[in-house]
Amino acid sequence: MRTQNATAYRFLTPYLLIFAIFWIWPIISSFLISFQATRTVPWRFAPTFNWGRLIGDPAFYNALKNTLLILVIQVPVMIALAIVMAVLLNSPLLKARGLYRFAFFAPVVVGEVAYSAVFRLMFSLDFGIINKLLESVGLAKIDWFSNVTPAMALIMIAVTWRWAGYNAIIILAGLQSIPEDVYEAATLDRVSKVKQFFHITLPLLKPVIVFCAVLSIIGTMQLFTEPFLITERGGPGGGTETLGLLLYRQGFRSLNFGYASAVAYTMAGLAIAITLVQLWLMREPK
Amino acid sequence: MAAVTLTNVVKRYGVFEVVHGANIDIADGEFVVFVGPSGCGKSTLLRMIAGLEDISGGDIAIGGKVMNDVEAADRGIAMVFQSYALYPHMTVEQNLSFGLRMNGNPKADTDRRVKRAAEILRIDELMQRRPKQLSGGQRQRVAIGRAIVREPQVFLFDEPLSNLDAELRVQMRVEISRLHKELGVTMIYVTHDQTEAMTLADRIVVLKGGNVEQIGAPLDLYDDPANRFVAGFIGSPKMNFLGAKVVETSNSAAIIELVNHGGARLRKPLREAFPAVGAEVVLGVRPEHFFEAGEGDCDIPVKADVAEHLGSVSYVYANAGPEELIVEREASRQRASGDHFTVSIKAERSLLFDKAGARIR
Repeated sequence: MRTQNATAYRFLTPYLLIFAIFWIWPIISSFLISFQATRTVPWRFAPTFNWGRLIGDPAFYNALKNTLLILVIQVPVMIALAIVMAVLLNSPLLKARGLYRFAFFAPVVVGEVAYSAVFRLMFSLDFGIINKLLESVGLAKIDWFSNVTPAMALIMIAVTWRWAGYNAIIILAGLQSIPEDVYEAATLDRVSKVKQFFHITLPLLKPVIVFCAVLSIIGTMQLFTEPFLITERGGPGGGTETLGLLLYRQGFRSLNFGYASAVAYTMAGLAIAITLVQLWLMREPK
Repeated sequence: MAAVTLTNVVKRYGVFEVVHGANIDIADGEFVVFVGPSGCGKSTLLRMIAGLEDISGGDIAIGGKVMNDVEAADRGIAMVFQSYALYPHMTVEQNLSFGLRMNGNPKADTDRRVKRAAEILRIDELMQRRPKQLSGGQRQRVAIGRAIVREPQVFLFDEPLSNLDAELRVQMRVEISRLHKELGVTMIYVTHDQTEAMTLADRIVVLKGGNVEQIGAPLDLYDDPANRFVAGFIGSPKMNFLGAKVVETSNSAAIIELVNHGGARLRKPLREAFPAVGAEVVLGVRPEHFFEAGEGDCDIPVKADVAEHLGSVSYVYANAGPEELIVEREASRQRASGDHFTVSIKAERSLLFDKAGARIR
C-alpha cells in the first residue's frame, strides 16, 4: 500500500510543484508582503505600515463602500431576475427553449472588452441608444459617465446583464431537479400555482440560490472589469472605484505591492465573512 | 364516498392512442385494482381519473357528475404516488396539513384531521421528522396520511408499494386493506403485481395494451379467465400452456391431442363453442392442477429440471418435450432435479383457448 502511495505521489509531483510555486507560494508571499513597506529599496518589515494605512485610508473606504453598495443592490436584483428567467425558461409553454437558453447564457462568453465598448456606446450622452429611448418617452438625457449615481447604476446594469443569464441556467438546473409529482401532489392538495412557487419551488431551490449568491458575492468582491473599462478606471473621480480596482491601482500602477496585498487580503476576508454569514442565515433547520 | 364511471375513455398522445375506449363501473366504497404489464395504460387511466391527464375521448364521472373539464383539485379525490411525492422541506406534520393550511381551513379542523390520520396510520411519533429521516414504509404511511386528511370521495393509489421491500410490501398491503375497511371509501389501486391485485381487490380490472381484457372478482378471474392473457397474468406461478390440436368434435366435447406429448389425448367437455377438427388450440393448466399419474384424464411424462421447495409445497420446473411446465407438488412428494415422473391432467381442471388466445368454453 505504501509503495503504491509513493508511486502515486511521484506521478503527482510535477503538478504539486507547479501548484506550490504558482498558487501556494503567492498566497503565503502576498500575506508576508502585506507586512512590509514596499516603496523603499530594499523592502523592510513594517507590520503596521500597510494595515495601519488601510484603516485610515479614505480611498479604501470609498472603494469598500462602492463594492458593498454594488453587492447589496446588484446581487439580490440579479438573483431575483435569474429566478424569474429560470422559471420562464422552464415553462412548458415556451417555444424554442434552446434558443432562449443560448441567448441568456451568451453574455458570459462575449469578450469583456467588446461588451464594455458596446455598453459605453449604448450609454453615451449624445449618441447612445439608451438616452435616445429616454428622450423618445419624454425623459431627460442622463450623463451616465460624469455623475456618480448614474455611473454606479450603469455598472450594476452591466454586471446584471452579463451574469443574470448564467445564474438563470444554474437555477434552471435546480428547477428541473424538483420532481414533477411533488407539484402534482400540491395540485391535488388544491394549492395554487403562485403558492406552489413560494411554498415549494423557492424552498427547494434554496441550496442552488445560496450557491449562486455565494458565487456572485465572491465575484462582486473582485469586481474589476466593468469599472475599469466602462466607467474608465472607477470614474467619475473614484465614484465607481471598487476594491479590485484599488488593488490594481496600488499594485500595478503605483507598484505598492505591500498595500495591494493588504487590500487583497481584506477582499478575501470580507468575501469569506459575508459568505459565512449567508450560509448561516440560509442553513437548513435541524 | 362516490361511484366512479368510465365510459369509452380514450387517451391519445398525438396520433398514438394508448387507451382505447375503456368502460369501467366502480361502485361506491368498492376497492378496484387496475393490473397489467408495463405500458398497458393503467397509470394513464388513473391519472385521467385524477385529472392530471386530459382525456382525449369519452367521459369520466365521479359521484354521478361528469368530471372531464373539472380541475384535478375539485374532483374530490386524493392520490398516493409511487414515489410518495412528499414535500422534502416540510416535517411530517406540515406535509399532512399543507393542503388544508394553504386553503385556509380552520386550524382546529386541520389539527383534528391530521391527528386522526396520524392515529390511523400510527405515525404520531414521526410528526416532527422530515421525509429524508423516514424509512420507505414510514414515507408511504405519510403519503397515505396526506390523502386521508383531505377526506376525499375517492382514493387513488399509483403503484404505492413498488419501492418497498418484500416484507414491508406484505405489511403495507394488509394496512391498506384495513384502511379500506375502516374508511369505507372508494379506492382505485394501480399495480403490475398480480399478488397485490388478488389480495386487495373487491374487483380487478386487467389491462393490456390500452384495452380492458376482463373485469371481475379475483377468484372469478383466476378460475374463469376470459382469455389466455388473463389466465397467464393472474396466478403465481403462471398457468402452463400446452400446444394442442383438435382431432375430433361432438356436440358436447372436443377431443384434443397434446402435440408435444407423444399424441396424448384429452376429452374436453364444451358448452358454447366447438372448434373445427384440425384447429390449433392451447390447453391451460395451473401448476396446482397437475395430478398423480392415473388420477386424471390424460397422463404425460415429464423430467424435473429445477425444484423450488417453499416448505408446504414445491414447484418443479419440468421439461416435457419442447415445453417447460411448472408443477406444484406437496412437500411430501418432492422431486429432485433429473427425476422422471408422470403428471396427469383433469379435463375439468384445465382451460381451452383458441390460437388467438380467446377462451373456448
